Amino acid sequence: MSEVSFEIRRGEIVGFLGQNGAGKTTLMRILTSYLPATTGEVIIGGEDVRDNSLAVRKKIGYLPEIPPLYPDMTIGEYLRFAAQLKDVPAARRREEIDRVLTECDLREVRNKTIRTLSRGFRQRVGIAQAIINDPELLILDEPTIGLDPVQILQVRKLIRNLKQKRTVLLSTHILSEIEQIAQRVIIIKSGRIIADQPLDALLNTSGSQKKILIRFKGDRQAIERTLLDIPNLKLTSVDSMEEVHSMELEIANSHDNYNELVGKILGGKGRILEVRERREDLENIFVRLNLADPHTRV
Amino acid sequence: MNKILTIARKELTAYFKSPVAYIVLVITISVFNVFFYLIIDDNREASLRDMFKVMEFMFIFIVPILTMGIFAEEKLTGTMEFLMTTPTTNTEIVLGKYLGSLTFFTVIFGTTLIYYPIIEFFGQPDLAATLSGYAGIWLEGALFIAVGILMSSLTRSQIVAAISSYGVLFSLSFSALFTKYLPSPAETLVIYAGTASHAQNFAVGLVTPGDLIYFLSGIFACILLARLSVENRIWQ
Repeated sequence: MSEVSFEIRRGEIVGFLGQNGAGKTTLMRILTSYLPATTGEVIIGGEDVRDNSLAVRKKIGYLPEIPPLYPDMTIGEYLRFAAQLKDVPAARRREEIDRVLTECDLREVRNKTIRTLSRGFRQRVGIAQAIINDPELLILDEPTIGLDPVQILQVRKLIRNLKQKRTVLLSTHILSEIEQIAQRVIIIKSGRIIADQPLDALLNTSGSQKKILIRFKGDRQAIERTLLDIPNLKLTSVDSMEEVHSMELEIANSHDNYNELVGKILGGKGRILEVRERREDLENIFVRLNLADPHTRV
Repeated sequence: MNKILTIARKELTAYFKSPVAYIVLVITISVFNVFFYLIIDDNREASLRDMFKVMEFMFIFIVPILTMGIFAEEKLTGTMEFLMTTPTTNTEIVLGKYLGSLTFFTVIFGTTLIYYPIIEFFGQPDLAATLSGYAGIWLEGALFIAVGILMSSLTRSQIVAAISSYGVLFSLSFSALFTKYLPSPAETLVIYAGTASHAQNFAVGLVTPGDLIYFLSGIFACILLARLSVENRIWQ
């Protein structure tokens, strides 16, 4: 990791994105005090991870990439063990175990041995141990990796419910997961942060240009000639089906009055059917940023 | 202290849920009983001195099997990451695991206590020598467990942990046999470092502070090194 610096506010849901080997797991291990950072500092809830690691560990719940489970224990035994190690007071232990069993929908299987559980259930048990101490910060490393589509939906639903009460830090390389869960995205490449933005802002960012799509009926050739006279505008593709034409235009970000612009383009030579800004999807942004110079930060 | 007991209880329960532990338990007790019969039948003497040698030899073989997974398995399955990100200190983790293994070892050791009433039934054994012999063997086992835990903390492989434990335990137990090939100062050092001379004193009823310090400091050193090994996660 190098020059990694970011701040997360209470209640935020932040997604870490990065290719395999980008440094997501290393970063999470540093945040949870499992790995010591060679330089720099990590402050969680006002406590320094290096100087006051035990206090930090009381504030966090952590689900590593491989759910850390003991196969010979039952779910109930495992959660009791986790609660004891995480300083849940003895008087509240039973109540907290019941709470996480309910939150993670595990009540029916609480007496099952972990060895006999499916991957999806194991993941939920992993999340249950992470929230047994009702942590302020929940750190989830690739929480849906290796699950089938139904299990993925179940775990995402569970995370969506959890985020209502806590700050959540989630790493994944599944882009749709970030779009569905996170409010803010941090993209990591080769141990460096190359993007750190609210999800909406990132989706609206594609350099100094943006794309708009215009569908219209009318004289296509005449309109194409008009385009040549308008500055900061480039026709990137055109398609026609019978009388309906679609044009994709790349325009400067400074163009924000589409009605005026489209009026200028058509100039009475056609009738507008649709004008739409084409947002670059997260997948394209991710690929574009990963191909870019790692020292460039968005 | 609570967390040490929590981890110790978890380790102990894990032993009783594992078939390997039952196999070790049954084989060890069977071997002890056979040798007890053979020794008593052959010596016709109300003493457990020779039996202590059998126990010492047997513990060299079984302790690495009991301790090889203590840390290595946790590292391999990823549960070490869970343990070390809970508000539990490394010392509590190491001591908890040590206590769990030591308790299971004590259960196996405890089954041999029946031999005293048996020899007392047939003769007049020296109670003090027998008690000190038992104490010596237990202390030696406690040192073996500490060595096994240290070796397990150094690797992710249970096989490597077991083999390296065997290496250290054999060296501790039998190096004194080869001292005749060594120069005089080295000979003294190797004899002191080995367990044989210290355990022998206990077996004849001689409890000396030097022997006690030897075993306790050995246990302390291994636990301290295991703690350092657990703490140093970068090179692992």
